[in-house]
Amino acid sequence: MSGLTLATISHAFAGRRVLDTVSLVIRPGELVALVGPSGSGKSTLAAIAGGVLKPDRGRIMRRYARHGMVFQQARLLPWADARDNIGFPLQLAGMGAERIAARVQAAAEAVALRPDDLSKRPDALSGGMRARVAIARALVVEPDFLVFDEPFAALDPALRRRMQDLVLSLSGARGFGGLFITHDLFEAARLAHRIAVLDRQGRGITGSLTPPGAPGTRSEATIFGFVEKTRDDPLLRDLVNVDERALPLEGACDISGFRRCC
Amino acid sequence: MMRSMRFDPGLIRARQRERLAEWADMLPVLAGRAAWRIGPPLIGIALFLALWQAAHLQYGAFILPSPWQTVAATVTALSGLAGWAALGATLARVLLALGLSVVIGGGLGLLSGYVAVIRAILAPVAIILLGMPATAWVILTMIWFGPSHGAILFTIAIVTGPILYIGTVDAVRGRDRRLEDMAASFGASALARFHRVALRQILAALGPVIGIALALGFKVAIMAELVTNVAGLGAEMARARAQMDIDMALANVALAVIGLLLIEHLLIRPLQSRTGHWQRPDG
Ligand SMILES: Nc1ncnc2c1ncn2[C@@H]1O[C@H](COP(=O)(O)OP(=O)(O)OP(=O)(O)O)[C@@H](O)[C@H]1O
Ligand SMILES: [Mg+2]
Repeated sequence: MSGLTLATISHAFAGRRVLDTVSLVIRPGELVALVGPSGSGKSTLAAIAGGVLKPDRGRIMRRYARHGMVFQQARLLPWADARDNIGFPLQLAGMGAERIAARVQAAAEAVALRPDDLSKRPDALSGGMRARVAIARALVVEPDFLVFDEPFAALDPALRRRMQDLVLSLSGARGFGGLFITHDLFEAARLAHRIAVLDRQGRGITGSLTPPGAPGTRSEATIFGFVEKTRDDPLLRDLVNVDERALPLEGACDISGFRRCC
Repeated sequence: MMRSMRFDPGLIRARQRERLAEWADMLPVLAGRAAWRIGPPLIGIALFLALWQAAHLQYGAFILPSPWQTVAATVTALSGLAGWAALGATLARVLLALGLSVVIGGGLGLLSGYVAVIRAILAPVAIILLGMPATAWVILTMIWFGPSHGAILFTIAIVTGPILYIGTVDAVRGRDRRLEDMAASFGASALARFHRVALRQILAALGPVIGIALALGFKVAIMAELVTNVAGLGAEMARARAQMDIDMALANVALAVIGLLLIEHLLIRPLQSRTGHWQRPDG
């Protein structure tokens, strides 16, 4: 059982406040989906949670052994093939080559990468393959907490579904907690115990929504009904409605669906 | 059924014939590809030699020997120990001095790349040194050290050092830091981030810079040898000039070009392809 507490986190980039006293408690074994408009500071919060960025103010308490992190962009080493990219965290930890090979094999299978794709370098992989390599790299460390920043945005619906099931089985079987950032309300409603909504200007978590039942046990109808109902929730106003920042109508994107723009 | 098919000699022969036919089909394509690769450079070389020959016919052998005479003179120079010694002396000097400037220029560049204060302090110094003409250094070191081996080494190092410095600073600053963040998320220490993620990118960016520094170092070496008359290709050229031996002068130029090509292909290219292979889309 693993959890994470982010207490009154504030962070500014070059004097511009991006996160302002954001607090988020992820209880042991809880998978929290974080949603919020683009530019609200979700990735920044993920970087802080993952220990990549030191916040200007605030405290982080981790109650887990290891986290596995997936960034919004795949961030693969361009000189290494997919196999070495997946094994990179294990190499860092100084693990032996044989054990690395076995673990990489298992992680690659879990994300449905074919063996012949494993010897390709990132520039020879498709966008979806790169995303899956990054996911495999996060899973290969056998994490007990996940920090996933829109990990499935580049995947087709079938693969996306498969990856969601993978996360569900991991969190269900081993009681993982995690912070899962997504723009897709259906994805959030399928995977998460709770959906936290980040304020549009990063001024704290404005509230949470809890889909009925536990993740993995919700039926499609339940998920669909929940998403339809919460669309009207004032919490999600900034996320669901087309606001003043949006493009002209023909270029407008469906923020909550697959076709959301990047 | 399977077995009889696999061991049927007629079938095997048919398959071999098929494969041969495939090869025969491929042959024009492969030949065409090879022609495209080596054809244009060959045309370039032929053009250069033709111009040279034309100029030779126009001005006579006393001003410009023919390409053939130059080849003959080069072979003569290399058939004695003196020619090899001159080439070796120059090559050794360039490599030694370049190593020195890689250590000092590259080392300071690494430091400056990471520490802004040092970068700010060294920036004007680097600009001044970069602006100094190489000939000025040849004269200065002649006065300071006299015509010696050390003077030439110093000249080459001081001319190439700032280039390597600037190149290293740019390489450090231009690296993809998001990859280091990625490594940090998996618990990599600062040292591990440097030597597993950053250094790789820095070396790859440095390859072309070292190539440029090498070519420049070679030119400076010959110039310094020419002025100081210390053994080497430059000194051989000075001798050729004194004796008005144009064949020998050109032979030394040819040797200098050969020396540069040798270092480029035996040293720089392999290094580059080891550190930077991922940057070429076709590599
Ligand atoms: N390294 C950085 N330097 C300066 N500003 C940054 C940096 N990273 C993020 N920002 C700024 O912080 C704000 C929040 O960015 P962040 O990436 O956290 O948004 P996000 O919620 O993840 O958006 P999206 O949904 O589009 O991914 C943006 O205004 C962005 O310009
Ligand atoms: Mg983001």
